Amino acid sequence: MNIKKKDIASEIFTGSMADISFLLIIYFMITSAFSATRGLDFALPEETDTPEIKQEDAIEVHVMPGGAIEVDKKGLPKDGLLPYVLEKLQQNPDKPVILRTDPDATYGDMISIFDLLRRANEEWTDDLGNPMYKDVNGDPLVEIKTISIPTQREIENIWNLLGMG
Amino acid sequence: MALIRGRDRGTGAAIFTASMADIVFLLIVFFVLTYKVEVDKTQMKLPETWIRKKIPEKAAVISIAPPDRGSTIRVSTGEEMALPVSTIEEVITFASTEVAKNPNREFILKADKNAPYDRVDEVLDALKQSKVKYIFLLSEQLTAAEK
Repeated sequence: MNIKKKDIASEIFTGSMADISFLLIIYFMITSAFSATRGLDFALPEETDTPEIKQEDAIEVHVMPGGAIEVDKKGLPKDGLLPYVLEKLQQNPDKPVILRTDPDATYGDMISIFDLLRRANEEWTDDLGNPMYKDVNGDPLVEIKTISIPTQREIENIWNLLGMG
Repeated sequence: MALIRGRDRGTGAAIFTASMADIVFLLIVFFVLTYKVEVDKTQMKLPETWIRKKIPEKAAVISIAPPDRGSTIRVSTGEEMALPVSTIEEVITFASTEVAKNPNREFILKADKNAPYDRVDEVLDALKQSKVKYIFLLSEQLTAAEK
């Protein structure tokens, strides 16, 4: 008996590929987020190695509502903050900066000053990253070593300890 | 003069589509590589900073909505969608649980720049009480002119 072999067309149907591709594009476009993926890093001190910061040993920066600042209880323009801190750190490079924010201020007010303090490294080094200033010991001064952001509860605890609460 | 009358030859007005598949696949590859689900979709204006460090992926997120949306606090593990919390104690419970799983767990604070600072202070305090070590304050890039 003569059996005729039937040729089966072996091709992949690609007609709907364009539709699937566009559907995928639309899906990714809608669900993917071009969200901000950067920000200011902030390490909280561990309780075991937290040095006791005495207020008189620190530079106290108080952020007022509206973004104005008081440094060591004196009003100062924002431009004057880093030069003031530099002058103080040249005398004592370990001096911490305490950043206190008024509860009526906004988060934006606080973060602009925190950003300004973090910019010290950029401002105190030249384009090649070499230090421009030295402290009283002759060591290069390139950054603020400690920026502390106490919370209202911590401030109240200190006041209570000092019997001022 | 003999005129040869033929049918008007239509000018080919076809759009070249042969490279469309390449473009489409290129776009798909781009989206697949950059794909990241936003766990917190709260619309807000982030504060602008000059210093901006790369935020680790899958860090836990705590968001504070703008004041006109009640400064609502939402929390997310970084993998699930953010859920609103009604009290600050819930933030402490959430953060403590995350820190118990991983003591070096990073947290992202996503707050509106007009959020009242006392609200932010409460959250920072909750994170400190929960022994969180690393916080990233989400921000937009400050332009050189604004600097």
